[in-house]
Amino acid sequence: MNKNPKPDRSRRPFRFTPKSISNALGLIVLAVIAVGWAIPMLWALAVSVHPPDEPLSAANLWFGSHPTLTNYAQAFQIAPFAQYYVNTIIIVFGILVVQLVTISLAGYAFARFQFRGQNILFFLILLQLMVPSSALIVPNYSTIRQLHLFDTLLAVMLPFFGSAFGTFLMRQTFRTVPRDLDDAARMDGANWLQTLWYVYIPPARPAMIAFALSSISFHWNDFLWPLVVTNSTSSRPLTVGLAVFTQLGEIGAQWPLVTAGTIIVVGPLLLLFLIFQRQFIESFLHSGLK
Amino acid sequence: MKLRIDRLSRSFVFLFLLSALVTSLAACGPAASPTPSSVTLTFYYPVAVPGPITQIIDGYIAKFEQQNPNIKVNAVLSGGYPDTLTKIETTIKGGGTPPDVAVMLSTDLYSLVDSNAIQPLDDYINTAGGSSFTSDFYPAFLANSNYQGHIWSLPFQRSTPVLYYNKDMFQAAGLDPSHGPANFAEMVADAQKLTKTDASGNTTTWGLEISSDGIPYWLFQSFVIGGGTNVVGSAPNQVMFNTPQVAQALQDFADLSTKDKVMPTGILQWANMPNDFVNGKAAMIWHSSGSLTNILKQAKFNVGVSYTVGEKGYGAPTGGGNIYMLKGIPADHQAAAWKFIQFMTSTDIQADWSINTGYIPGRKSSMDTQAMKDYIAKTPQAAVAPQGLQYAGAELAAHDNAQIQKALGDAVQAVLTGKSTPADALAAAQQQADQILSAFKN
Repeated sequence: MNKNPKPDRSRRPFRFTPKSISNALGLIVLAVIAVGWAIPMLWALAVSVHPPDEPLSAANLWFGSHPTLTNYAQAFQIAPFAQYYVNTIIIVFGILVVQLVTISLAGYAFARFQFRGQNILFFLILLQLMVPSSALIVPNYSTIRQLHLFDTLLAVMLPFFGSAFGTFLMRQTFRTVPRDLDDAARMDGANWLQTLWYVYIPPARPAMIAFALSSISFHWNDFLWPLVVTNSTSSRPLTVGLAVFTQLGEIGAQWPLVTAGTIIVVGPLLLLFLIFQRQFIESFLHSGLK
Repeated sequence: MKLRIDRLSRSFVFLFLLSALVTSLAACGPAASPTPSSVTLTFYYPVAVPGPITQIIDGYIAKFEQQNPNIKVNAVLSGGYPDTLTKIETTIKGGGTPPDVAVMLSTDLYSLVDSNAIQPLDDYINTAGGSSFTSDFYPAFLANSNYQGHIWSLPFQRSTPVLYYNKDMFQAAGLDPSHGPANFAEMVADAQKLTKTDASGNTTTWGLEISSDGIPYWLFQSFVIGGGTNVVGSAPNQVMFNTPQVAQALQDFADLSTKDKVMPTGILQWANMPNDFVNGKAAMIWHSSGSLTNILKQAKFNVGVSYTVGEKGYGAPTGGGNIYMLKGIPADHQAAAWKFIQFMTSTDIQADWSINTGYIPGRKSSMDTQAMKDYIAKTPQAAVAPQGLQYAGAELAAHDNAQIQKALGDAVQAVLTGKSTPADALAAAQQQADQILSAFKN
C-alpha cells in the first residue's frame, strides 16, 4: 500500500538506546501475550486430530500417534452442522443488516434532530445497555409466541433488530461530523435521508465495521436464546449443535470430539478475521475503539 | 416501556422487508399438518453422554410411530439438563405450551411440583397394572419419583457412581484383582499399596482419585451411604447434613489426601478423572457408571469395576434423568404421552439405550434380554453397576434443589481445601439449607 521506500533499518547497527530497549521489551511482552492467546487455539487444533481411542496425557498431549480426521467425521455425523451453518449465517447477517439500518437511523435522529423526550429516550436506551439479554428471555419468548413465530429463524433474530450499543455508538460518531457539511448538503437540496447517506455514513464506516464485528461474534456464539425459541434443526444455529459435545456433565469431556466440534463452529469466524484482519484493525484505530 | 414499543414498531417496518428474504431462505417452522385423528407429541431430551444420541432417539421414535400410526413425536434436543429446565420454565412463564414429555433430572422432582409443571402418572400406572408395573423398575431409581403419595416420573437414563480399578496394578501390588475394596478401611489399605513414588519422592501413581468439583455432593454421598446413613431427609423440606455420621464421612474423604496420602490434595476435576485413570496416573477412581464405555475404549490395561464404599461397606447414590409428563398439555395428548413414556421405559428400549450410551437400564428385566446378555458377555464390567443398585440410596433432592445441593457441595469443598472442619462446614451447610427450606415448612 505504502509506495514510499521504507528506511532500511537492517543496515543500521543496533544500539542500546532507551527507545530501542523499550521497543524490544514491548515486543517481548506482546509476543508472550500473543503466544498465550494462540496456545488454546493451537492445542484445540492439535487435539481435534488426536485419535479418539488414545488417552490424552502429559506425554501424549498433542497429536497422538498419528493425526486423524475421525473426530471431525464423527462430529459431522452426530450433528447436522451443514444445516446449522446455513442457519447461523442467515441469523448473524440477517440481524446485522437490520441493525445497521436501525442504528444509523436512530443514531442520526439522536445526533442531529431535536424532539420532545429526546433525553429521556436516549437515557432509556443507555439503560438498556445494563440489562443482560438473558434477563429478557421470558418476555421475549412471550412476544415471539404471540407473534406465532416460535421455532423460526426470525424468532431468533427479532429481539436483536434494535441495538442500544449500536445506537449509542452511531450517535457519538455522527456527532463528530461537522455541522457545516450537513448544512452544505441541505443547501444543495439534499433531504435528510440523502444527507445521512452521503454525509454521515461514509465517515462512520469504521464505527459500523467495529459494531458489525461485535454483533457478529456475539450472535455467532449465542446459545441460550436460540435454544429456547427453536425446536427443529431447520431453525437452530451452530452453537446448539456444539452443545451435543460439551454438555456431557456426567461423563467428563471427550476432548478430541469437543475440540473438533469447537473448530467446526469457530473456524469460519476465525478465518474471516484472519483474512480481514488489516481492515478490522484499521477500522478500530479510526473509530477510537480498542 | 414506551421505548421498547417504539423500537419494536420501528423494527416491524424492516421486519417485513426481511421476512420475505428469510422465509424464502428457510422453512418457517414445522409445516406438516397432521391428519385430524392424529396427535403430535413434543419430547425434550438433554444430552449427558457422548455419541450419536439424536440418531438413537430418532430410531426409537421411528419404531414408536410405526407401532402407533396416529401418534407423531417431535423429538427436540434441549441442550444439557439445566438448559432443558430453562427452556421449559421459559415456555411456562411466557404462557406457551410446554412439551408433552421431557427428560429431566430425577432430583428436579420437588422443584417441578412446586412450579406446577408436571403431572402425576398414578392413573396411567394403575391401568397398566399398578405395583406389578412399577415392581420391574429398580427401587433405587424410583426413590426420586415419589412425592405426596404420587409417582411423578419413571427412570429413563440413570446412573450411579462406581469404583474403577486398574487390575494390572492390583496384580502388581499383590492385591486380588477379582474384586475391589469392600469398605473404606480396605480401600485406604489398597490405595496405600497402589500409590507409587519415584526416587525424588514425587508421586507417580496415586492409589485413588475422587473428584470434588462440578457436583461435589454426589460422590460425597457415596461415603455417607456407605457409612450406613444418608443426607436426604424424610421429607423434601428437610436435609440431614449435620450428623456425626456425615461428619465422619467427610473426615474420611479429607483424610484420603491429608492423612492417608493416597490421593492428591485440593479439588480434583471431574473431567480429568477418566484421563488420569486410563493414563495410569490413578490406580482407582470413583466416577459415573456412564463413563464405562469411554474408559474401556481408551484403557490399555484390564479394567475392573466395583462399588463405591463408606465406613460400613458398599454404598452409592443414584443419578441421571427421569421421564416426566408435563402439565397443561391438551387432553388428547395425555394418553398418547403415556404410551410414549411406556415405550421409552420399556424393557427392550431401556436395554438398547443402556448398551448404546452406558446408562443403567431402569428395569430389571432389561438385564435378561438377549441383547443385554450378548453385550455383557463382551463387556462383563457393564453388569456391575446394576448389581450395585442394591446398595444405592436416594440422591440428594429437596425443594429449591440446586441451592441445597450447592450448600452441601460447598461444605465438602471447604473441608477438602482445608478451609474448614467437617463439623463446622456441615453445621453451616445445615443452617443454610434450613433457611432455604423454612419457606416450605407447613
